[in-house]
Amino acid sequence: MTKKKLTPEEVVKYLKDEFKTKIKDVKIVKRKSGSKKNESKYIWMKVDKSVFKQAIKHLCKLQFPHLAVASGNDLDKTIELIYHFTLNYDQRLDEIVLNISVELPKSDPTIDTISDIIPGALITEREKMEMLGVKIDGIPDDRRVFVPEDIPVGVYPWRKDKTGPDKFYKNLHEVKK
Amino acid sequence: MRFSMLPSVFAQMFKKPWTNKFPAKYTPSNTTQFLKDVSEGKAEIIPPVQTPNGFRGKIKYDKEKCIGCKLCLKVCPCEAIEFKPKEKKIKIYLARCCFCSQCNDICPTNCLSMSDEFLLAGADPYSKDLIVE
Amino acid sequence: MNQKATTKTTYHIPIGPIHPALKEPVYFEFELAGERIVDVNVKLGHVHRGIEWAGMRRNPIQVLYLAERICGICSYCHPAAFALAVEAAADIQVPERAEYLRVIQGELERICSHMLWAGVAAHEIGFDTVLYLTWQIRERALDLTEYLTGNRVTKAIMMIGGIRRDITSDMLPRIKKDMLYFKDNFEKLRHVFLDDKTVKMRSQGAGILTKDDAIKLCAVGPTTRASGVKKDVRVGESYFAYGDLDMKCITPKDLTGTVNGDVYDRIIQRLLEVKQAIELIEECIDKMPSGDIVAEPKIPKLLSQLKKTNGEGVGRHEAPRGEVIHYVKLDGKSECPYTWKVRAPTYNNILPWIPMLMGEQIADIPIVAASTDPCMSCTNRVAVVSSGRKYELTKEQLHNLSIEKTRRLMK
Repeated sequence: MTKKKLTPEEVVKYLKDEFKTKIKDVKIVKRKSGSKKNESKYIWMKVDKSVFKQAIKHLCKLQFPHLAVASGNDLDKTIELIYHFTLNYDQRLDEIVLNISVELPKSDPTIDTISDIIPGALITEREKMEMLGVKIDGIPDDRRVFVPEDIPVGVYPWRKDKTGPDKFYKNLHEVKK
Repeated sequence: MRFSMLPSVFAQMFKKPWTNKFPAKYTPSNTTQFLKDVSEGKAEIIPPVQTPNGFRGKIKYDKEKCIGCKLCLKVCPCEAIEFKPKEKKIKIYLARCCFCSQCNDICPTNCLSMSDEFLLAGADPYSKDLIVE
Repeated sequence: MNQKATTKTTYHIPIGPIHPALKEPVYFEFELAGERIVDVNVKLGHVHRGIEWAGMRRNPIQVLYLAERICGICSYCHPAAFALAVEAAADIQVPERAEYLRVIQGELERICSHMLWAGVAAHEIGFDTVLYLTWQIRERALDLTEYLTGNRVTKAIMMIGGIRRDITSDMLPRIKKDMLYFKDNFEKLRHVFLDDKTVKMRSQGAGILTKDDAIKLCAVGPTTRASGVKKDVRVGESYFAYGDLDMKCITPKDLTGTVNGDVYDRIIQRLLEVKQAIELIEECIDKMPSGDIVAEPKIPKLLSQLKKTNGEGVGRHEAPRGEVIHYVKLDGKSECPYTWKVRAPTYNNILPWIPMLMGEQIADIPIVAASTDPCMSCTNRVAVVSSGRKYELTKEQLHNLSIEKTRRLMK
C-alpha cells in the first residue's frame, strides 16, 4: 500500500540520483484515452548490467513493484531483456508502467537473479533461460519451464541466429492444392 | 439453509426445457437417407435454433465482381485463399477457413459476404461442398 | 491409500499433466504425510504451442486472429492487449466511440467467464444443480454475444485502431432486456452461493492466500483481490474508456467486512465483479458518444503505416482471470512484428498455488485449484505411488473423494 502518490518524474529522479550515468535513454511516454483524455504513463529506461540488481533493490525501498513479465529481444550482437514493472497499482488512474531494459553481450549472457527480492520472478526468469540462452546466477530452480524435453539444450527458440529453432518445425499446414 | 436450490428445481418442472430438441424424435437407421427424405418433404426435421443477423457462416463469393487484387490473400490468417492467376479469381478452402470475415472487410468491391449456413461438416476436406470458387 | 504401519513415511503423488478440475495441463508432485499435503512441486509447459514464434512470421492483422486462439474462454482479452500494444508502438489514436464499445464487449466476456467458473466451482464441491443454473444464465450471455459479434466464442471483433462492428440503436433494447435478466438472476445466485451451508462449509478456511504472499508472488486478478490487495488494471491505468467510468476496486470487504483470502472470499469476489460488470455495461450504453468506430478504415493503408513504424509498445488489459500483458516491438523493415511476448494471467497465478495447498487435504485439491480459475479444461488421472506399489485414481475417483468429504461434513 502506498502512502503518497509517485509521479514518473520522481521515480526517474530517484533512480538517477543513486546510479547517475548507469541509467541511460530515459523516455517518459504519456498516452491519452477516453472522452476525458486521462493519461496513462510509461517510463522506458536502459540500466547497465553491473548495477541492475542494486537498482531493483533500491526501487523496492521506494515502493514494492509488481513484476508483470520479463520479455526479451535478440538484437544482433546483444540480447536485450526488458523487465516490465508497475508502480502505484492501487491509485486510481495513477499507475506507472516502468520498463527497465538490460543489454547482455552474446559472448557472456549472464545476469543476477531477482527472485530473492521478488519471489514472483521465478517462472519468468526460468523462461528467459530456456528461450534465449541467458544464464541467471543464483536462481533456486533452473529446470525448463515451457520448452518440451525433446528439444536439445543448445537450441533457443527466440533467437534469430544459428541457434534458433528452424530445424525443428514442420510445415504441417501446407494444403495439397 | 440447506435446500436453497429446491424452489428453482421445482419450478423447472413446469417450464419449457431450455435446450432445443434433437432433430429427429428417434435416431434414423440411415442418416443420409433420412436427410434425403427431408429435402424431398417426406420426413420432418426439428429445425436448429435460428441464427441472428450478422452470423458468420459459410462464405459467399460473387465471381463477377472480383477484380483479382489479391488483398484478401494478404490478410487471411489461415492462408485459406488461393489465387488462380489465369482467370484472376480466387478459390477458398473452407476446411482451413476460420470464419473471421476479415476478407469481407478488406475487399474493395464487396464481392464476399457471410451466409448463415453452418452445417458444413464432412469427411473429405477437399470435397466440392467445402471449396468455394 | 495405505500407509506403512510402523514408520511414518511421506509419499509422493504426481498429478498431471491431464488431471482433475485443474483446467490447464499442469504437472504437480505432492508430498503427503497421511492426508495432509507437506510439499508441492509444479511443472508447466504441456501446451506450449510456439504461438509467439508463429506471430513473428505474420502481419499484425493475422496476428490478431492468432492471438484470439490462445485461449477459448478469454478470447477477447488477448487481441485487446495486442491491439493496445500495437497502438502504443505506432501511436494510433482510437476514436471515443470505439473505446466505449470495447468496454462493453470486454465486460460481456467477463460475465460469461465468471458464470462458467461459478458452475465449475459448484461442480467440484458436488453441487451439480447450481452448475445447471449458472450455465443456463451463461447461455443467455452467449446468445447476446452471438447477436452482437456473429459467433459465441471466437468473437473476431477487435481491430487495430478500433473495433469491427458497431452497436446500432436497434440493438439496444435487446441488450437492456438481457441486463435486466442478469440482474434478476444475480440475487438468486447470491443466495445460493453465499447463504448455502454446504458451500460455506467446504470453502471457508480452505486454500488461504495471505496478503503478503499475494504481493510477493505477484499474483493477479480476482485471486489477489480476494486476499485484499487492490490490484486492478482497469482502476490503475486509463485505457479503453475506463478512465471516464465510475469504477473502483472491489474486495470482499465490501460485502462481508473482513478479508480472509480463502476460497469463500474468491467466490464473493467473482460474484461482486459480475454485478460490477452489469453496471459498467449500462453506464457505457448511457454515456456512449457518437463517431467513427475505427481510426483507419482502409486496411491496406493501415498495414503500410505499420510497416514503416519503428517502436515498441506494451498493452495491458484486465481479463476475467487477471492482468494480460503483451509486448510488441515493430522494426521499420518488415511487416511482421520483430518480437511479440504474451503473458497470460494464469502464469502469475501458478506460484501462489504452493502456499495455498500446503496443509490441505487431497480432497480439497480440486476446489482450491479451481478457485484460482486456471484457464483450459482437461480430463485427468492420478497415480499414487506408495512404497513400490502403484495404483491409479481416475477423475471420477478423485471427484468422488471431494463429494464424499462434503457428505462427511454435512453429517
